[in-house]
Amino acid sequence: MKRIRASRLGLLLMYAVLTIWAVISLIPLYWVFTTAFQQPNEVQIMPPKFIPTVVSRYLPLRLTGQKEAAQALVDGALESFRLLFQRTDMVRWFMNSALIAVSATAGVLFLDSMAAFSFAKKQFPGREFIFWLMISTMMIPGQVLLVPMFMVVRNLGIVNTPWAILLPQLSMVFGVFLLRQFMSTIPSELIEAARIDGAGEFGIYWRVMLPLAKPGLATLGILTFSASWNSFLWPLIAVQKSEWFTLPVGLKTLQDQNLVNYGLLMSGAAVAAVPMIIVFLSFQKYFIRGLTLGGVKG
Amino acid sequence: MKRLVGGIIIVLLLVAFTGFSLADWKGTITIWDAPRWPDENDDKFHWIKGKIAEFEELNPGVKIELIETPWAELGDKLSIAIAGRAWPDLVPVDISGAINKGHLDQGVVEPLDDFFTAEELADFVPGALAAYSYNDKLWGIPTSMSVHVMLLNLDHFEAAGVEPPKDGKWTWDEFVETAKALTREGNYGFTTYILKGYYEAWPFFYMDGGRPIVDGKFAFDSPEAISAIQKLVDLKFVHGAAPIEMGSADVGGAFQALAREGQRHVAMGPWNSWAIATVSTEGVNYLPNVMVAEYPVGDSGKPVTIGGAGGWVIMKQPNKEKLAKVVEFAKFLSTAEEQYKFARFYGTFPSRFSTMEMDPFADQPLMKRAMEMLEFAEAVPDHPNWAQIDERIQAELQLIFAGEKTVEQGMQDAARAVERLLR
Amino acid sequence: MLKQIWRGRSGYLFILPKFALFIVFVFIPILWSFLVSFQEYRVFDTVWVGLDNFRDAFSDDIFWMAVQNTLRYAVVVMPSTVIIALILASLINPLRRSAQTFFRAAFYLPTVASTVVLSMVWRWIFQTRFGLANYFLASLGLEPINWLHSSEWAMRSVITMAVLTPPGMGVILYLAAMSSIPDSLYEAATIDGANRLVQWWRITLPLLKPTTLYLMIVSTIGSFQVFDQVMLMTQGGPGYATTTIVHRIYQTAFRDFQFGYAGAMSMLLFFAIIVLALIQSRLVTSDVEYKG
Repeated sequence: MKRIRASRLGLLLMYAVLTIWAVISLIPLYWVFTTAFQQPNEVQIMPPKFIPTVVSRYLPLRLTGQKEAAQALVDGALESFRLLFQRTDMVRWFMNSALIAVSATAGVLFLDSMAAFSFAKKQFPGREFIFWLMISTMMIPGQVLLVPMFMVVRNLGIVNTPWAILLPQLSMVFGVFLLRQFMSTIPSELIEAARIDGAGEFGIYWRVMLPLAKPGLATLGILTFSASWNSFLWPLIAVQKSEWFTLPVGLKTLQDQNLVNYGLLMSGAAVAAVPMIIVFLSFQKYFIRGLTLGGVKG
Repeated sequence: MKRLVGGIIIVLLLVAFTGFSLADWKGTITIWDAPRWPDENDDKFHWIKGKIAEFEELNPGVKIELIETPWAELGDKLSIAIAGRAWPDLVPVDISGAINKGHLDQGVVEPLDDFFTAEELADFVPGALAAYSYNDKLWGIPTSMSVHVMLLNLDHFEAAGVEPPKDGKWTWDEFVETAKALTREGNYGFTTYILKGYYEAWPFFYMDGGRPIVDGKFAFDSPEAISAIQKLVDLKFVHGAAPIEMGSADVGGAFQALAREGQRHVAMGPWNSWAIATVSTEGVNYLPNVMVAEYPVGDSGKPVTIGGAGGWVIMKQPNKEKLAKVVEFAKFLSTAEEQYKFARFYGTFPSRFSTMEMDPFADQPLMKRAMEMLEFAEAVPDHPNWAQIDERIQAELQLIFAGEKTVEQGMQDAARAVERLLR
Repeated sequence: MLKQIWRGRSGYLFILPKFALFIVFVFIPILWSFLVSFQEYRVFDTVWVGLDNFRDAFSDDIFWMAVQNTLRYAVVVMPSTVIIALILASLINPLRRSAQTFFRAAFYLPTVASTVVLSMVWRWIFQTRFGLANYFLASLGLEPINWLHSSEWAMRSVITMAVLTPPGMGVILYLAAMSSIPDSLYEAATIDGANRLVQWWRITLPLLKPTTLYLMIVSTIGSFQVFDQVMLMTQGGPGYATTTIVHRIYQTAFRDFQFGYAGAMSMLLFFAIIVLALIQSRLVTSDVEYKG
């Protein structure tokens, strides 16, 4: 009896700590979204309005019959969105970003899981050397690689094409590292068992390794999508024609030289956050615990 | 006979013109540009797009490719393009800027002296040409100028019962008294910021005659520079007429403090002339009751200020015929009429006397008053290492204004670092 | 040897596509940066200068300030990222499925906004006059702090932002790794009478070693390469109080057009991180494999 009560108290405490922590963590994101929906003259006001006027005042106004005032609030809240959607090429930028981010995610998951499988579970001369050679390149700050990467894509003749953004993203090595660490914990007996059952090497990778690595793949998928979706400086340099602008590049060209338009900035950020949230939520189901190794005996 | 001569002349003229245009260069010119003023569809590239269409119409066979770039990353992107040996043909310089000496030093910029007659050059404001001249050569076409001015929110003056300076002219002592009188009920008289690449505060440091570099030597540690810096520091720490964040790097915060609806708690601040258009247009930064004033006059007796010149720079061209065409296009973008548009819609001062004669600011008294200050405007020093020198000086200024170093100490430290960069 | 290579051929084939991309888009650019660090890179007449760029780095006072600032940042942020991720994941993992989903989202989603936007928000939080942080201090009756504009507080503010932004990646990674630990291991331990904390210490923690190593190395890299936040919040100031190594590298390369010097500083940073990563991988031997 005593133990149960203690653990219940512990559970309560855990919930409390997590909830407070989560609330603090979410403040910046909350701020992004509320700023996006503030009235133009309330954007960036200090101290900030934690609840946008359109939320706090709309219903009272409607209920008291002030239809026009209520509508004006909605118009004010949506002003920067209207600008984004009606007067810019945002839909095109969005599709470009989506095409690149989806391709990058799919490509990275495939390439990195193959490489990680090999580094984690296969024996071949030079394995450790090649692995650490690749990993060590993460330690060079990306900023110094902008010029030589620009030279590479130019020599390949792919400047101003989406390949110039996509291929460097497919070449990043952190996913190989992540998945190798993840796959190395998967029991080798499973591979041996599959091999005895007559599976080929690709079959082992595809039918045994990938299903077992689902949580790791889901993590990498989320991270790759976000990284690709948010990347700014390289797409700005590699793709100069506006027809291939990505969302972050396009949004930045809307900003004036001298004063930042925070309403526009935060509305853009809010729009840009939605796909990442969707991707995150749809990968969520692969985090289910204890499913993967149920049938295995050690 | 007369007819024959006339006919021959006509034929010759035709040959001359068509022959000339037949030998004319054909191909693609790449131009970068960044957002300017919006049209009714909020397109901030409409001006350059329109000019490109016109030029292509006039020059069959010439195609102009526009690369849209944000202002903030334009310099970095250009550095990468240059380092990658794939630069565009024509690039803009922003209005507070000048030519990049580092790029000149790399030999990737075309000198333009051969393309301008003395007569043409005479139409340009000398200060604007100076910003694009280096080692006695012209390295770009200035099209628009900016100058730092004092913006005064007269609502604060009225509330405090303080008289604004007559015709915007005042001495340092008058300025201090005004700032002190305006400091009341949570409001402050003055604020500004210190950040590398920004010079709003610097005319104060020039006030007593001090300059950062004199005869190739660091001179912000001279008595006249130190006394001027000390005066502005004292405005905060001795007179209490500026908020504690005065002299920090918060550019946006300083602007909000002056102009943002609901946040206006500072009455005066020095700003680049772009801000005049911002505070006189409807919106959250609209100041209905605003005045433009000169910087206060110190021991040097002149209302010195700092100006910049935006324009176009032509990058290295291996093909001389193409170069001629690029110059033609750049000139096409810099005519008196185009500068008039910039003055009207983009809030810049023309760099041509002929545009000034068109009186672009007839209905904009604030801009008109600010334009008079161009007479006292100086450009920032044109040393090839200026960006690094500037960083050193501004870093020390930040510490001085944070109250962490004395003016003497900070400028001595700056002197030591800058001496090495000047060599 | 040849025989071994032949026997390992499928291993090579599996890494080949990635390796080919890696060579073209990562290795060649790095080789260029490496070579450039021995040059004074110019567009038309590049000259070899031997070790001059490295010598310059050692005698550059700003570089040394940047090294100190970066160390100050990394010493706090690197371990805290890993430890906070571990604590959060360990607290979330035993919860019900729906609660897990909720908290995983709550700690990951704050990181979906780009650093640019997040830094902007934090700049508001730290604003001297109207910022949330000083508002909070005032409500406790404390004096306001000039967060981003005093040498004393600027770096602490940048560090605070890093620590308070939840390590979303670490949390989901740890949770993914925890979800792969077979239940049978815990069941056996429960039968042996070990309580939760003991189970966590004896089973969970050792089996998380590969993930921990990954996170340690990645957060070492991340915190030694801190740049965006500094660029957006303080621009390296006041003075040089928040100038970091990569900030310095960036300025040197793109503002001053000194790619050779920037390359040399990058190589020094590279070697520093490599050494740390090697030490870490010795400390956390990651050769563990679950026995289901």
